[in-house]
Amino acid sequence: MKLVPDTNADKRIDPATKRLVRSGVETVLNPFDEYAIEAGLQLKEKLNDGSTVTIVSMAPESGKEIVRKALAMGADNAVMLSDQALAGSDVWGTAYALAAAIRKGGFDLVLTGTQSTDANTGDLPGALAEYLGVPGLTYARKIEVADGRVRVQRETETGYQTLSAPLPALASITKSAAEPRYPSLKGIMGAKKKEIALLRVADLELTKPVGGDGAKVELLELAAPPVRGKGQVVTAADAVDGAKRIIDFLKERKLL
Amino acid sequence: MKNVIAFIEHKNGQARRVSLEAASAARTVADLLGGTAHAVIVGGDAAAVAAQLAAYPLDAIHVLADATTDKLIDPAVDALSVVAGAAGPSLILVGNTMIGRDVGSRFAARVDAGLNADVTEIRVDAGRVACVSPKLGGLSITTCAFKSDYGVAAIRPNVFAAKPGAGQAEIVAIAPLGKTYASVVEDEVEEVAPELGVEEASVVVSGGRGMGGPEPFKTILKDLADALGGAVGASRAAVDAGWISHGHQVGQTGKTVSPQLYIAVGISGAIQHKVGMRTSQTIVAINKDGGVPIGEFADLLVVGDAFAIVPELAKQVRDAKAVHA
Repeated sequence: MKLVPDTNADKRIDPATKRLVRSGVETVLNPFDEYAIEAGLQLKEKLNDGSTVTIVSMAPESGKEIVRKALAMGADNAVMLSDQALAGSDVWGTAYALAAAIRKGGFDLVLTGTQSTDANTGDLPGALAEYLGVPGLTYARKIEVADGRVRVQRETETGYQTLSAPLPALASITKSAAEPRYPSLKGIMGAKKKEIALLRVADLELTKPVGGDGAKVELLELAAPPVRGKGQVVTAADAVDGAKRIIDFLKERKLL
Repeated sequence: MKNVIAFIEHKNGQARRVSLEAASAARTVADLLGGTAHAVIVGGDAAAVAAQLAAYPLDAIHVLADATTDKLIDPAVDALSVVAGAAGPSLILVGNTMIGRDVGSRFAARVDAGLNADVTEIRVDAGRVACVSPKLGGLSITTCAFKSDYGVAAIRPNVFAAKPGAGQAEIVAIAPLGKTYASVVEDEVEEVAPELGVEEASVVVSGGRGMGGPEPFKTILKDLADALGGAVGASRAAVDAGWISHGHQVGQTGKTVSPQLYIAVGISGAIQHKVGMRTSQTIVAINKDGGVPIGEFADLLVVGDAFAIVPELAKQVRDAKAVHA
């Protein structure tokens, strides 16, 4: 799971520093990842065979309390990959380092969100599956595990596919798969006692450089988009008038 | 990187529009780099799709015509790797779509390539390739250069033009991969008539909380979208209420779109929706309330009864088009 600036805040870029203005913007659990956590918990409950759910997050240690929230939902334990050396990682480096951290702990099934609300590349699940060397079942809107196989309904633009693969595997979970639960009071209390293990880059035996130095892309420029000004506001006298005003406008813009 | 390779998605024997845009961009960027432009097509219909791509100014179209690879990501990545390996350091263009992102990201991990997603412009400066992408829902525009030998750019649909032109591409068969894959597609179900998704459509007609129920999405909004040749979108409120499926959702936890025309019906324009559509070229809103936030950034806000205006608008659009026909 990833920590991101709050989805509902109207974020802005400081024109001088060209960085996101963080003050007043809370850091939260990436909303897309909540679906993955919920799907993991439901699988665990359904299997009821001693399977456990581990949260893995690459984030600064300051994000510990947000990771604890996932534990309060019911996850068994958590691993945080926290290292200053990872600052400035791109998607490539994030997938590479996370894969090493996940391999270290061992796994049958890796669940991810489909994208994050900040970078929003949607590239992590595929890259992670490749580094882990396992099948990637992306955009799962329904997931089940039985007899050593994972089966998903994979969303497509016009419907879905039923896709299955042997474990170990990776699946990215969509919003339709699971409505995230709220942590119970018992869960919140219990989470305080659960372990959050810290991993450093040195623990991972990586062979390629990570962080800003290892990144495969370099930020050259960060600009604010052209400002979108307030347009016209007209009140329709009736349906015909309202429609006609739109038609005239579309013609004026050569859209019709 | 010197050469450019476009990965072509296709369905029912037809290349997706974003893939034609990728093929066209491949030519443009290859010329700037002084290299060659390629396309890679995988699947049972690959030969038919190659015939369609022949109308584009590429140097080579690489074809793996094998129906057993249909619908799977892994063989597409394998085929792309074969072509990229032979081409040497190159830029790979995929659509910023569900399949394009999967193929692009897996390929990138395989060859340690840099990734740029949701690309709206590709620049070449002294042989170095950089990609422009809106981030944080269009709040900032980043330009990122590749530092790696290979690079993957997932291009945003509808931004690059599809430009057919003197096609002289050589059709090259990719040797059978001779691999078996662990993933199995057991079946595929079409739930909606094959139509453009909101990400690819040049016109999007979206409905929000103001629609009051599922019906308008199937009737008046669908009809207006049809009249304009567009797709139906929705706000989170409408999706959360179960009025329309998540695939239609525009906004922070849905799709990001930038059509030529975005029509927001009964949508207030909260930040969560705004970040998914503010890069649309033209925004028209219809709302019963003149004080909604969308009025602050829509090019035109018509205040009135959407249930009456939308059907009338569909009719007037058809009338206007009939005059041109």
